[in-house]
Amino acid sequence: MGLIPNFKNIATRSPWIYRINAGSCNGCDVEMATTALIPRYDIERLGCQYCGSPKHADIVLISGPLTVRVKDAVLRMYEEIPDPKVTVAVGVCPISGGIFRESYAVLAPIDQYIPIDVNVPGCPPRPQAIIAGVAKAIAIWRERL
Amino acid sequence: MNFLTIFARNLKQGPQTEAFPLGPAFTPERLRGRIEFNAATCEGCRICERVCPANAIRFAKTPDGMTFDCWHNTCVFCGNCEFYCPTDAIHQTNDWDLSHVNADKFDMVEHGLIPNQTCVECGATALNTAPMVKNAKPPLSTEEYAEVRARCPKCRAKYLKNRKVPA
Ligand code: SF4
Ligand code: SF4
Ligand code: SF4
Repeated sequence: MGLIPNFKNIATRSPWIYRINAGSCNGCDVEMATTALIPRYDIERLGCQYCGSPKHADIVLISGPLTVRVKDAVLRMYEEIPDPKVTVAVGVCPISGGIFRESYAVLAPIDQYIPIDVNVPGCPPRPQAIIAGVAKAIAIWRERL
Repeated sequence: MNFLTIFARNLKQGPQTEAFPLGPAFTPERLRGRIEFNAATCEGCRICERVCPANAIRFAKTPDGMTFDCWHNTCVFCGNCEFYCPTDAIHQTNDWDLSHVNADKFDMVEHGLIPNQTCVECGATALNTAPMVKNAKPPLSTEEYAEVRARCPKCRAKYLKNRKVPA
């Protein structure tokens, strides 16, 4: 009986983070890499680590306004991520289109296609803001698990 | 022996990692963050709306006056609006922590209203904007400024033209 809650406690400790670039200008991706790799910000203190495969991911960070060209690839990749997953939109691009809003080439806002849980506005958001967003996402993810 | 110096320095300085989110984050004074709007000093020129590259700022005419909306989820923190605002009514704060759950998406907006007023001279309905009086010699006193403000644009121009300049 006691085994299942124990598994849950272990499993909720360390989410894997996965990044999807939905046509971003790379500004947000650089900030996300900074957040993860530079000791000054060090997102691994929250127990998260970036992973290379969507099949391992728990929390997915999406940047970019979802350009028409990458839409199918992004949706396919999103489908591959196992449930329960939490989606974080990083930057104003996925939230509203930001600077690319109303362009013929983008399909923002991205929550028309993908359910988004947390938004982190900014162009790009500073690493601390991304950490704040990920912390919110971890709280949501623990509830969902 | 170099590593010993680095080791000693690291011992003295402690870790470089910022405490955030478990502690306060370092925020530079001039960080470009959330936009703040002060309707009381706005001139109603709508330059900010025009220069905003992301079209984050919208003015709209309503029965009560002119509304101002700045959508934080579209703003790219460029600072153009503050730079071009002639009356310092719009400011960029260094507040960066804007992350929110998706349900609050449409609440992330800075709202302001420039109310309508009735002109004390001709009785016309006009916006109660802050008058921008440049090159007035001598500069307007506080009472004169309030009198100018209580008028519609046409009567403001008339008031300034007929203003008695003390010799
Ligand atoms: S939000 Fe800004 S920095 Fe981020 S991808 Fe969009 S344009 Fe680039
Ligand atoms: S905020 Fe400044 S730039 Fe914008 S309408 Fe008011 S006075 Fe003009
Ligand atoms: S900072 Fe730039 S993007 Fe934001 S409201 Fe002002 S002009 Fe628009």
